[in-house]
Amino acid sequence: MAEQFRTCPTTGLKIHKPAETLIRVNAVAAVVCLLVGGLAALLILLTRWPAVHLLNEEWFYRLLTAHALDMLIAWIIFFEVAGLYFGATVLLNNRLPAPKVGWVAFILMIVGGALINYTVLVGEATVAFTSYVPLKASPTYYLGVILFAVGALTAVLHFFAALIVAKKEKTYEGSLPMVTFGLMCAGVIAVLTLLHGAAIYIPTFLWSLNGQWGIPNDFFPGIDPMIYRLVWWGLGHPSQQINVCAMVSMWYLIATLTTGAKPLNEKLCRTAFLLYVLFINVASEHHLLVDPALSIWHKIVNTSYVMHLAVLASMIHAFAVPAMVEVALRKKGFTKGLFEWLKKAPWGNPAFASMFISLMGFGFVGGITGVTFGTEQISIIRHNTWSITGHFHGTVVLGTTLAFMGITYYIVPLIFRRQIFSETMAKLSPYFFGGGVFIFANAMMFAGGYGVPRRHWDITFAGASIPFQFDPTVFFFIALTGLGGLLAIVGGALYVLNTVASVFIGKKIQ
Amino acid sequence: MSDHKEGFEAPGTFVIALVFLAVFVVVYVVNFKLLSNIWEIR
Repeated sequence: MAEQFRTCPTTGLKIHKPAETLIRVNAVAAVVCLLVGGLAALLILLTRWPAVHLLNEEWFYRLLTAHALDMLIAWIIFFEVAGLYFGATVLLNNRLPAPKVGWVAFILMIVGGALINYTVLVGEATVAFTSYVPLKASPTYYLGVILFAVGALTAVLHFFAALIVAKKEKTYEGSLPMVTFGLMCAGVIAVLTLLHGAAIYIPTFLWSLNGQWGIPNDFFPGIDPMIYRLVWWGLGHPSQQINVCAMVSMWYLIATLTTGAKPLNEKLCRTAFLLYVLFINVASEHHLLVDPALSIWHKIVNTSYVMHLAVLASMIHAFAVPAMVEVALRKKGFTKGLFEWLKKAPWGNPAFASMFISLMGFGFVGGITGVTFGTEQISIIRHNTWSITGHFHGTVVLGTTLAFMGITYYIVPLIFRRQIFSETMAKLSPYFFGGGVFIFANAMMFAGGYGVPRRHWDITFAGASIPFQFDPTVFFFIALTGLGGLLAIVGGALYVLNTVASVFIGKKIQ
Repeated sequence: MSDHKEGFEAPGTFVIALVFLAVFVVVYVVNFKLLSNIWEIR
């Protein structure tokens, strides 16, 4: 057993070699998905910008679907699986109980992801991320989603098995470390989320088989669109809450690694994680606020009351993390005035910069707008506008993606045993990416405020039988969205190039 | 273990929290104002 471990000479952490390999392959797959999704993002951005309008409508909708799946699902879940294995092994001096199961999970996710991308890119699944019925994709698409989800569920269950092994073999003392605890909460939400996914995608897959692959047309009855929307959002929204939980765990980890900070009140932080587990799933209902099929009572209870308990959790974390950083930096002597600690914080460390920009962006851009647009009355003016796209780019891109980018600068030396290829690229990336997404998301929200729709190929409605023109102000905000998006893509490209270069040609660390 | 002590340990973060609250109030009120412009009570 001992030969399966190595000890990191810098951190002293015991690393299980089979787990290390699985962390590596999942992290590499994540970055590849980020690259594919990022290329799609560039082309979509240059199409939504009326001054450029690059793609035809067919390719626009194909790439929009691929972009959402590669970014919201593949990049983030591959990275989270790497994070789960890291949290259950490296942070607990533990082993992965069944590495072969980890490989099965990884292969299922790769095959599922490849099937999804292939089907979308050949034009057989232009159904957008939500794939609302009666829109129907090729069965291959649903099969890809199911395979990916089964792989992800297998990885999550493997993570829980590793936690049981760690407890049984007493590889750590006391309670689970905060970061692993947060990842465990993400794991619980992941199981609930993936069960919702199975509940909706398996019948939809069977329905899509009607008339395909030699199967009779009446093989499976139709899917009720309302039931589809309700159950689908039990997958669609909580899947983003897995991200939130994992992102917050990364905030705590990066804050500790970069400034030596410790949570001021661990019990409060752990309680906040539990609030996510208990209340975030019902918050999915805010996607259905303008849906005529649900009762007002149902909508108000779920979104105006219960949802705020999950919001409370985010607010606790969003202030616990800067507070612990402030206390740690004040102890180092940065006590002048209210903000000397912030001014003298390690802004040159890309992990810290990523974490702090992610934290502020998630709260100020994604969080405030999420609560506001998720209010029952306000939803009526924001639903299906570009404001919603702006909001979730504030949470998932400015928040989660940037936090994951930040932790990469520690994972590469520790797990890949390579030095970061270019310190300059690493230092610039969070500012380009964070600044770009900040401009991009806010400009989108302003344009959405004028009624600009989301997921629309041509908002000038050229050639439409009933002409319509938006207030000319929207074109200023669309141009701003384009410029912010390009800046973000430069930041993302710096991250991807630097990470790939570090992994393959970075200086080896013994 | 936490290093919690008596007193106001993170005043800067408290100010950030107040700014956050102020931005939230502004965004919330502006959105209700926009709603009221198109959804008048007569």
